[in-house]
Parts: sequence; C-alpha cells; structure tokens
Amino acid sequence: MLKKSAANVAGVLLALFFLFPTYWMITSAMKPQGSTITSDYDLVPLSVTFVNFVTAWTKPGFLSALGNSLMVTLTAVLAAIVVGITAAVAMSRFAFRGRKSFVLLMLVAQMAPFEALLIPMFLMMRDLQLYEHLSSLVLVYFAVTLPFCAWTLRGFVNGIPVELEEAAMVDGCGRWGAFQKVTLPLLGPGLVATSVFAFITAWNEFLFAKVLIRSQDRETLPVWLSGFQTAFGTDWGGAMAASVLFTVPALVFFLIVQRKMVAGVTAGAVKG
Amino acid sequence: MTAVKTTETAAPAGGTTPPALPPAVTGGARKRRRRGGAFDRALPYLLLAPALIAILWLIGFPVVSVFVTSFRQLNLGELVRGEIVWTGIDNYVTVLQDERFWTVTLRTVVFTVSVVGVSVGAGLLIALLMRVLTPWVRILLQITMLCAWAMPILASATVYIWMFDQNYGILNKTLVKLGFDQFAGHSWFGSGTSTLSVVGLLIVWQAIPFLAFSLYAGLVGVPRDLYEAAGIDGASGWQTFRAVTWPEIKSLLMMVTFLSTLWDFKVFAQIWVFKEGGPSGESTTLAVLQYLEGIAKSHFGVAAAISVLMMLILGLITFQYLRRLLQTEEGKI
Repeated sequence: MLKKSAANVAGVLLALFFLFPTYWMITSAMKPQGSTITSDYDLVPLSVTFVNFVTAWTKPGFLSALGNSLMVTLTAVLAAIVVGITAAVAMSRFAFRGRKSFVLLMLVAQMAPFEALLIPMFLMMRDLQLYEHLSSLVLVYFAVTLPFCAWTLRGFVNGIPVELEEAAMVDGCGRWGAFQKVTLPLLGPGLVATSVFAFITAWNEFLFAKVLIRSQDRETLPVWLSGFQTAFGTDWGGAMAASVLFTVPALVFFLIVQRKMVAGVTAGAVKG
Repeated sequence: MTAVKTTETAAPAGGTTPPALPPAVTGGARKRRRRGGAFDRALPYLLLAPALIAILWLIGFPVVSVFVTSFRQLNLGELVRGEIVWTGIDNYVTVLQDERFWTVTLRTVVFTVSVVGVSVGAGLLIALLMRVLTPWVRILLQITMLCAWAMPILASATVYIWMFDQNYGILNKTLVKLGFDQFAGHSWFGSGTSTLSVVGLLIVWQAIPFLAFSLYAGLVGVPRDLYEAAGIDGASGWQTFRAVTWPEIKSLLMMVTFLSTLWDFKVFAQIWVFKEGGPSGESTTLAVLQYLEGIAKSHFGVAAAISVLMMLILGLITFQYLRRLLQTEEGKI
C-alpha cells in the first residue's frame, strides 16, 4: 500500500513536470502586458487578459505565415495520402514481380535522413526555379511524408480482410467498386491517423522552410516564430500567445487521432 | 519527426493478414478477368508508379546528387556561372583535416548518446510506473504527456527559452526563492555545454511521451499468467523484471532506441533557435555545421561532404536497425 502511494506521488510529480511548460505558456500568454516581465514571483496569475492574443494575431506576418503553413501542409499531406494509398493497396493486395523489393524500398525511404539531403534539395529546387516558392516546400513535405504514409497505410490495408473485397466482387462490384465501397470506409480510422501524423511532421518542419524560403511574406509559422525576438522584442506575453495559437491546430488534430486510434483498435478486436 | 512515431510501431502489429492473395476467381468473373488480363497484370505497377516516381525523383536523385556534389568545388561563384569543377576528394580532405569537424562530430555523438540514453531510460521507467498507478493518476499522467508530445517544436522551444530566461525566467526566480542566490541573473546559454543541456532537456521532455506510450503498450501485452507464475515461484521484483518483462519488451526497446538515435542525431531546429549553434560555435552539431557551411557560407561542395559523412553514420545505424527489423518481421513482408 505504501509502495502504491509512493508510485502515485511520483506519477503526480511527473505529470507536473510534463504539464508545466504548457501551463507556463498559457498563463504567460494571459498575463496583462507589463506584468510578464517582472521580478515579482508570479507562478500563479492574478489577472487574466486576452490582449496578447490580439497582439500576436495582428503582428505583421502572423496571418500570412499561418495561411502559408496551412496551405503547404495540407497540400503536401493530401498528395502523400492519395499517392500513398494507391501504393499501399498495390503492396498489400497484389502479387507481382518486384513487390518485395518495393516494400523494402518504402521501408528504407522512410528512414531517409532528409536533413542530410539539404544541399542537393536546395540545389535541385534552385534548378527547377522553385526556390522561394511555396511549391518547393510542398514537394519536400510530400517526399518526407510519402514513404511513411504508404508504409503505414499498407499496415492498415493488411488489417482489412481481403475476403470482404472478394465478397463485394462476387456480388458484382468491379475492383474500383469494391475498393470504394468496402476498403475505403474501413480504412477511415487508419487514414485519419496517418494523415494527422503526416500533418504534424509537416507542421513542425523548420530546416527546409528556413532554407528554401527567404522572403518574409512566404514564411511558414515555425520560421516566423523562430524570429519572434524581432517581432516581439521582449514581449514574452505576445510570443507565448503566438506559441499557443501555433499549438492549437496540432493539439486538436492530436486529440482527434487519439480517439480514432482507440476506435481503430476496438474495431479490430470485434472483428477477431 | 516526433509525431510520426506511434503508428510506425502500431501499424505493423495490426497487419497480420497475409497479403497479396489473388482475388477469388468465380465462374462469372472468369471470362472478364481473362479479357482484362494485360490490364490486371499492369494494374499493380500502375498503382505503384506515382509513389515510385516521386521517391526516385525526390529522394533517390538527391541522394545521388549529394555524393556527386561532394566531389565538386561548388561555391557561390561556380553556382551562379553554372560551372562544373571537379576536385576529387579535396572537400573530404578539407573537412577531415579541420579540427572543428572532429570536435563537432564528437559533440554530436555525445549529445545523441546522452539524449537517447536518458529519454529511453526514463521512458521505460515511466512505462513501468504507469502499470502500478491508480487509474486516475495514470490518466492524468497520460494527458499531460500528450500535451508535451503534441506541442510543435518551435512553440516548445520558445517556451523553454522563456522559462530559462536570464533575468525574468521562472526557473531562475524559483531557484533564488529557494535560497540559491547565485542563480540571480544566471545565464543558461552562456556556454555550449549548458546550452546543449537545456536543448537536451527539451528534446528528452518531448521524446519521453512516445517512448513511454509505446513501451507501456508493449508491457500491457505481456501475458498476465507469466507474472502469476513468477509470483508463485517466489520471484522478487527485479527477478520478475529480468525473467518475464525484459525478454518480452527487448525487441521493442531496441526498435525505439534505434529510432530515437536516428531522430536525435540530426536535430537542427531546437539547437538553432536556442543559440544558432553558439555561443562561439560551442553548441554546433553536425546538422548545424552542414547548414552553416552550405547555406550560410555557400560552400555547397564542402557541405555536401559533411552531409555524406553524416549519412554514412546514419546509414550504419539504419543498417543495424533494418537487419534486426527484418529478422523479427521476416514473415510480414
């Protein structure tokens, strides 16, 4: 019993350790201007304001960076999912010459050290005249997420019994019909999970966004936020509010996927 | 790449159905299938074509190109004029003779090993702890870990910079309050070691959730009767861990250790936003060095040589990882 309560105390302390930066980000963002930078000990906020969020939202560059980030990330993830799903179906539903080597290629490509490909990517985008264009980032994020999407979706397609598709085909569906009416709906949770993880990868990406885009109006959010000291000076309240706004989309998607993942697992359990 | 982690481990577990069963050929369908034979044979290749082209173009070509570039003299002048100047292994000689390269490599290795060691160790301990927690404490811990995991890297880095701020950071204020007066105005980013320690703490803090969640999932999968049997045999806690838990999660632990090593070795964003590799280059790692040489100084050839050396190190780790993965997953491919 004593051992159990000691474990629980350790658990609560760890929870505090993991929560604190989030707590500090939110409370700093909600402190009135002028009371963030203070030598007073202010662990617990005494007054709450949303002024900082307005400041961050209206800072030059924030909205365009948010738009750029959303545009680049969503386009790249959508492309990676569509291309990934066709490859996944091919890998998991067909027997053909070279299948095994293709599966291996996907596995290896997934581990490609993109950071080490910075120089050739930069030179390639320059040759393609895509340097300084957001489409270069779309291409990079598509390439970064594609092997992961194809590999993961292959796992999810493998989890759907092929007999279901066969039954639909016996009932007169074509290949496409069977895929569209049987496989695709069952793939739902897997699709959501995969695209969310791909989304977060692209949403976080910093190095390529910094190197391939120099002009301020085409910056993505991570790069914009990395220059927060030029944007905010020592206005930590504003910087924290911007961080909160940057976190919200990722957190929302994360919570969605947690639920869907659980749903996917239980669905599998019922199937047996 | 933090976020990508769960499904990677979760997905193969789900995929137990043997793939690639040819669709059942029934009486009615047989005729149509024979007519569409050529198309059917081509179909998998057509489905694979977009992915294959994309991978060869956007990953394969750069990999070849980085090797080729590393044998060229390619500075801003050559780039603008479009000149191709081959220099053989000059770039490698330059890099390998540079004392700074060895310092940076050693620093990167030490940094990676410490961050991976601490995060995997802590992840395993937390996973073990989660098993004995009261449900509400466990859920609380899981939710807070989820918050840490979901926070975008740049947001969490900004928060850490603020918490460790020299004059108004909450950490220094707390330390002073606790009686450690020497921390008033203490700069956490005054030396490379101190900067990298804070960066390491940030990375560990964000890496533990993935590690703890996947290891916990592995622990939950260990059959209960094994523990009961160990209990009946009178095994102590440590003996149970050695004899029951360890063999069951060893391969999972290997896998997450390899993945963490791959990820932590090439970290750039966190190190860059804290101090841009400073003060005076003391927190520069290989990823930062490559950026400084290649992008900041426009020495593309030299930077490509650094990239190739990075890839060799990562390639060795990946090779080891793949060999193990293929050994354990042989039947699934």
